[in-house]
Amino acid sequence: MSANAAGLEVRGVSKAFPNVLALRDVSLEVHPGEVVALLGENGAGKSTLLKIVNGDYQPDSGSLNLGGRPVTFANPLEAHRAGVRVVYQEPEIVPGVGVAENIYLGELPRRGPMIDFRRLEQRVRGDLARYGFSKVLPMNLMGDMLSSAQRQLIEILRALKSNVRVLALDEPTSSLTDEEVDRLFTLVRQLRGEGMAIIYVSHRIKEILRLADRVAILRDGQMVATMPASGLSEGEIVKLMVGRDLSAIYQRRRAATDRVVLKVEHIRSNWHRDVSFEVRAGEVVGFAGLIGAGRTELAKVVFGEFPHDRGSVWVDGRPTSIRRPDDGVRAGLGLAPEDRKREGLILMRSVLENASLAILRRLARFHFIRRRLERQIASEYITRLRVRTPSLEQEVGKLSGGNQQKVVLARWLAAKPKVLILDEPTRGIDVGAKAEIYRLIDDLANQGLGIMFISSELTEILGLSDRIYVMQNGRIAGELAGEGATEEAVLGLAMAEHLSKSVAAQQHVAAEEGLAEPPAHETSPPEPER
Amino acid sequence: MKQFSEIRGPVRQVVRFVGAENLSLLIVLALEVLVISSQSPFFLGQRNLLNSLGQNIAVLGVLAVGESVVIIAGALDISVGSIAGISGVVAALVVNASWGRMQYALIAGLIAGLIAGLVNGSIVAFLRVNPIIATLGTFAAFRGVAFLIAPNGYPVGVGTRPDFTWLGSGRLLQSDAFVGIPIIMVILIVVAVLGHVLMRYTDLGRSVYALGGNATAARLAGINLTRVRLSIYAISGTLAGLGGILLAARTTSGAPLNGQGMELQAITAVFLGGAATTGGKGAVTATMLAVLILGVLSNGMNLLGVQQYFQDVATGLLLIISVAIAQWRSLRAERARTRVAAVG
Repeated sequence: MSANAAGLEVRGVSKAFPNVLALRDVSLEVHPGEVVALLGENGAGKSTLLKIVNGDYQPDSGSLNLGGRPVTFANPLEAHRAGVRVVYQEPEIVPGVGVAENIYLGELPRRGPMIDFRRLEQRVRGDLARYGFSKVLPMNLMGDMLSSAQRQLIEILRALKSNVRVLALDEPTSSLTDEEVDRLFTLVRQLRGEGMAIIYVSHRIKEILRLADRVAILRDGQMVATMPASGLSEGEIVKLMVGRDLSAIYQRRRAATDRVVLKVEHIRSNWHRDVSFEVRAGEVVGFAGLIGAGRTELAKVVFGEFPHDRGSVWVDGRPTSIRRPDDGVRAGLGLAPEDRKREGLILMRSVLENASLAILRRLARFHFIRRRLERQIASEYITRLRVRTPSLEQEVGKLSGGNQQKVVLARWLAAKPKVLILDEPTRGIDVGAKAEIYRLIDDLANQGLGIMFISSELTEILGLSDRIYVMQNGRIAGELAGEGATEEAVLGLAMAEHLSKSVAAQQHVAAEEGLAEPPAHETSPPEPER
Repeated sequence: MKQFSEIRGPVRQVVRFVGAENLSLLIVLALEVLVISSQSPFFLGQRNLLNSLGQNIAVLGVLAVGESVVIIAGALDISVGSIAGISGVVAALVVNASWGRMQYALIAGLIAGLIAGLVNGSIVAFLRVNPIIATLGTFAAFRGVAFLIAPNGYPVGVGTRPDFTWLGSGRLLQSDAFVGIPIIMVILIVVAVLGHVLMRYTDLGRSVYALGGNATAARLAGINLTRVRLSIYAISGTLAGLGGILLAARTTSGAPLNGQGMELQAITAVFLGGAATTGGKGAVTATMLAVLILGVLSNGMNLLGVQQYFQDVATGLLLIISVAIAQWRSLRAERARTRVAAVG
């Protein structure tokens, strides 16, 4: 493969769905040995474009060229054969088998009728060593024990074992910690060096500027710009993506009072040892840390979803005995969980039913729902949050990610809690909707709510929080506020012990040449079903 | 401020009243009626409609209302036929006692059903046994209990108690020209309306849909799932109890074997009515239409002289076909959702 041969060319592609023109005359070139970042708000057409490249969809008009020759992909298999692979956000992983089997799924080496496990292990060990993932992806982990980062690595390794010329990564870092992002970047750079053409889709503009050679920006199904990445600023890119200036998205009006609405003392649980913190009325308290530091679990322990064996929770000055989520709701807490599709919404039911779910008790008179009151309250919050939905009867599953998140928030605003716990409220939603949610957080704080704000995006944590707790390995490593709250300070606290630990693990491996231990911060006990 | 208004317009109102999903059920029913009435002149006679058809579907209908609630919650109750067996025996024993009266028998049978339902609910809610396994276990166990309660395991005859058998064969508005409306049908209609109101207009109904749609999300929204799980089985058990009483009254015998196989028909009706196997979708009105479809089919096959064994084959196939259709529908809905997510 010569370096100046054309890689993938998308020429004048259009694609329409019922009621929507998803792509309009889109062209994009990706050369071998180049990383092109594909950017755009949700709904801009990024996923549709990737699906056309992968053969999931066929374009209505326009063409694809690969290596200078026109190609058509009737299905993903044909795209794979031609050397085009798209790595989607949530790869298919077989839960009951190990890393090696998952990577070589469908093409396991055989000796006669039996699987040749020795050869399989050798190959995978070689692959992992070559790409520097031996420690990140321990071979003995079963599919269901893998973190999202590890799942994506498996999907990438799957892609790499065939002769890949064009690799597209669809938001590979949305669930990765900064440390894992670095490892992924190293791999992507290595592949670029080997002459691969790479399309990289992400919402995180900062990291794109570190990685990409060129930037391609989609807006409303049209390619609005393709330009070299060097010299571009975050602000300029956002402006191109949304067509307006969003420099003021983190604006906060400080509203913190002295009244403590949530006081947590000496919590000990499966995930935590001695965690204490407090949230005041009108205050946005950020919880930063690596994935697996115990932030989501802390929210769920406080809310009553997960058990704790020691410690106390005070809401608005009163002691509570929260043992189940409904106790938490009654005490005045609200929780918008991290995974809104799996834990937040009843996708097949209407916007109305989802919005009123937390206030059924209040709406009921002799167990009969007061339907007019229900519509009135739901309308009020759905309108206030600017949820874009044709009607209150619309199935929530048919809304876009940002609007789904707003429905979850509407539910909790209707419940009028004293403390609102937001777990990654902006994950996977577009810039415009993010800005609206930031503004809402500010509004809520000004109305006197205490907000526990969990996020893995450092910029938003730093931009919105009055105070920040940094968690690390099941405890609070430190508290930052004001001038002291910088990226460096947060990262320093979040990673301190983690670094020393991984060094120790390395030495351990070197000494024994045994199997690597699974990184402690990435395994958490299975959730109890109640 | 913009207010979201309810759906308006006359055609839409009608479709909304029937429900878009129910339209296909109505069409199937109409086709059935057309075919059968063209083959048998008796079918549309009031004697057939009110006696054979009406009385036959009533017990099934009552059981299917309870089964709807359970299935919409994402669970299953295989034991309803066995519960009907128990409550029939209990009601028959009570009414035959020296102090026995129809009202006491009714109450005793309902309580027997309620207790059985609470047993199911406790196994599912507290012991966390999968609903299918739990009620498959009690399906066998409750049938055994019915035989143990019945003296020597024999059926308990109630032919000498006209006040009790009135529940099964009594009529309203009987005259020379009109065969009368069977009491048992009136009871079914009342139960169906109550079931409909429960699911559509109460907090429990909402919680049932939420539990079936996404148990984790329902719990995190502050719904007490243990209470909901107990409630759905209590409702299903009580209605199965009522079904058993009606069956005993109609057959003039509280036989331990009463209700055998009815769980299958009730489950079939619910899925035929468009409920999702995973829960969260379904409606009592749709189930009632499905009960009518099943009843007309069986009645028609009787009139046309089709062997009972063929009818069993038909029922089994119908269950599988209706679930296959439901799966296909939910797959299509899933696709529609992901398509929207990909674009918008």
